[in-house]
This record gives sequence, C-alpha cells and structure tokens, in this order.
Amino acid sequence: MKIAGSHTLPFAPERAYNLLQDPQILAACMPGCEQLVKIAEDTYQMKMKMVLAAISGQFDGKVRIADPNPHTSFRLIVEGTGKIGFMKGDGRLTLAPKDTGTEVAYEGDVQVGGTMAAVGQRLIDTTSKMMIKRFFDKLCEKAGSA
Amino acid sequence: MIPQNFDYATPESLEEAFRLLSDPNAKVLAGGQSLIPMMRLRLAAPETLVDLRGVPGLGGIRLEGRTLRVGAMVTHYELESSPLVRKSCPLLAEAAANIGDVQVRNCGTIGGSLAHADPAADYPASLHALEASVRIASPSGERTVSIADFLVDTFTTALEPGELVVEVSVPVEAEGAGVSYQKCVQPASGFAIVGVAARIVKKDGEIAFARIGVTGLSGNAFRATGVEKLLEGTRGDASDIGRAVAGIGDGVDANNDIHASAAYRQHLARVYAARAIVAAVSRAK
Repeated sequence: MKIAGSHTLPFAPERAYNLLQDPQILAACMPGCEQLVKIAEDTYQMKMKMVLAAISGQFDGKVRIADPNPHTSFRLIVEGTGKIGFMKGDGRLTLAPKDTGTEVAYEGDVQVGGTMAAVGQRLIDTTSKMMIKRFFDKLCEKAGSA
Repeated sequence: MIPQNFDYATPESLEEAFRLLSDPNAKVLAGGQSLIPMMRLRLAAPETLVDLRGVPGLGGIRLEGRTLRVGAMVTHYELESSPLVRKSCPLLAEAAANIGDVQVRNCGTIGGSLAHADPAADYPASLHALEASVRIASPSGERTVSIADFLVDTFTTALEPGELVVEVSVPVEAEGAGVSYQKCVQPASGFAIVGVAARIVKKDGEIAFARIGVTGLSGNAFRATGVEKLLEGTRGDASDIGRAVAGIGDGVDANNDIHASAAYRQHLARVYAARAIVAAVSRAK
C-alpha cells in the first residue's frame, strides 16, 4: 500500500533533520517504541508494543536510515514482526523550509501481513496515518521542551 | 479460533469495576462485539475481562428536562426499539437501527462502541449532528466532554487509563425537526464506508437550522459545519442541497482501502449527504 502525506514542524530544516535522525528522539516519539538500540551505522534494533483499541501486540524489528542527504532528505526503512503479523515500510522523507518551520513530506510503501492484515484491511490506511500523525505531534512536543 | 485463556469478572458496583480495571492487563467488556472477535483471532489477549453488565447505574434511558440520558450499557437494540428514543431523539434510534446485524445490536452497547472508536462506526455521525456529550467517570470523579472532544482520532478517545464512559446525553429533538441517517454499508462487516446524519429545522419554508455529521470518510467522524452554513437560509431545494454538499470532503484526508478509494469515498460522502439532507428536509415540518 502506498502512503504519502506531510506535516509541518515549527523549527528550521537543520534542526528537524537532526531530530529525525536522533535515536533517542525517535524512540521517544514512535508510538509504542520500548527500545531502540544501535546495531550498526544507521541501523537500529527496535522493540515495540502496539496498543490500538483492543489490539495489542509486541513487535521486534529494525529501523534503517539510508541515502542521507543532510537537511533535505533521507530514506527510512522499517520492518517488524510479531505474533499478530508483520509490517515493512520503505519511504523517503523530504524536508523543505516553510515560513519559519519545515514541511516534512513523506512518500513510501507499507506492507502489512499476517492476521492483522487479513482482518484489518479496512483499517490499515487510517491507522498508519494516525500513527504517523502521533509521531509528529510527539516530536513537536519533545523538541519544544528540549 | 479459540481465544487465549482469560479471567472473567463481573463487578457489582462501579468501585469494584474501577478496582479490577486498575490492572493494566484487564479490559472492559461492554457488549464485546468488537473485542471478542479480536480475542478469537488472538489480536487481543487481555488477561481479565471486566464485564460491566452487572454494574448498576450504567443502563437505562431517561428524560431529564430537554435532555435524553442514555446509560453506557444500553444496547443498540434498546435504543432502536425504545418508544421514548424514537419520539424524543429519532436520529439516535435510526443510527442504532443501522448498526451491524441483529446479534451485534442485541449485545453491543453505545458506551462500548464509543470507547472503541472505530473510524467507521455509525453512532459518531449522529452524535456529532446531535452535539451530544459523554459523561466519563473514574475513581477520582466525573467529567463531561462534548462528542467532538471525546472522539480524538482513529481508535483514540479522550478516555484516560482507568476512566469509563458512563452516559451519553443528547438533546430532545426540536418540534417539527426532520432527521435522517444514510449510510453506504460494507455488507460483510456492516460498517459504514461512509455514513451521514442530518438534522433539519424549517421555519417559514426555509431551513433555519442544519446539523450534519459524517462518519467513515476519514480517520475520525466530524461535523460538516461548512455544509450546515450553506444550507441554512435556503429552501432546501435539490440545487441548494447539491451546492451545499459539494464541498463536504474539502480538506478531509479521506480513507483509502480495498473497499473504496479516497476519491470514491469523497464521491460517496456527497451522494449520501445529499440523500440524508433530502430525507431530513422532507420529514421536517
């Protein structure tokens, strides 16, 4: 499934870019992220507990940052596997100045499989969008207080 | 499939329910029409289910002045069949009658449905159009929030851990008002691909008051205030309605799934909004 969208962050592209690559910030902002450990240059091991309505599931996965273009774009590759299914995402984030802030546009592919995809087909799009929105909201909050 | 083992508790008071729910691995059972299927698929595996059926004060529908108060554990069937609801808030009865199938309506409850906050649930369209409010209780007290504040996002409500929905309040419908809920149903699940609720009050042949609620179009239900403004002051002719609904999805990030693309959902929203408004206008006196 293709996903695309954008969010505006209230700080300059340099700061936004650095925040989006800061593992501590990422760990604090990704919904349900319980652990993010660096295992190689630009690659992180992730443990995540997704709680969404009645559904809850533990995921083990990896996050990789590729093709970094400081302050303008980078690729984010995420994969996770758990009892209730798996997910893979590969997308490009592009940062552009907008007024005094930064517009972060994302575009990519998400694949979801297993039980959660078999029964949750109608909810994958809505839920992915909500998770991404939550991530950016949290990022604004964290960055604002830092 | 068979769910993972779980304990089943039947508290007999709110206090007891709160105590049981202070365990983070406990989950409220309020009808179970979404929760139980997910447990059977093992998408959800709570260790304890706290069934609210035996908690006094969560059932019943009563009229208090110009407000209809509906207990959280009132089933969809009770709402659809209650002469009091049909007379004093027909839109709520119509919304309830459109939910799922007979079993879902007999077991599912309004509080359970709201707390679950499925983005395609039927109630939110009508509750937005009714400007309903939701009463929430916790061990430390009570608070009441508007439906717009309660429904935060997909599967996300204003409920904090340990809080329970105890009551939903809607205004008694104005004399001569016309209401309608129209949905494009996804036949396998019974959920709305798009659902639109309309309330219309006419005065001297013109629409004096319009309230429109939309569900299923995006990640969260909403009130289409732009459409309302365009309707108010018109006679509610086909051309007025067509103009009013044209922008119903403007600025809305429409859902896109195997049942309907975003563009098709936008189209459905206009079609079903027009149907709901036409029906409400024709029913208004």
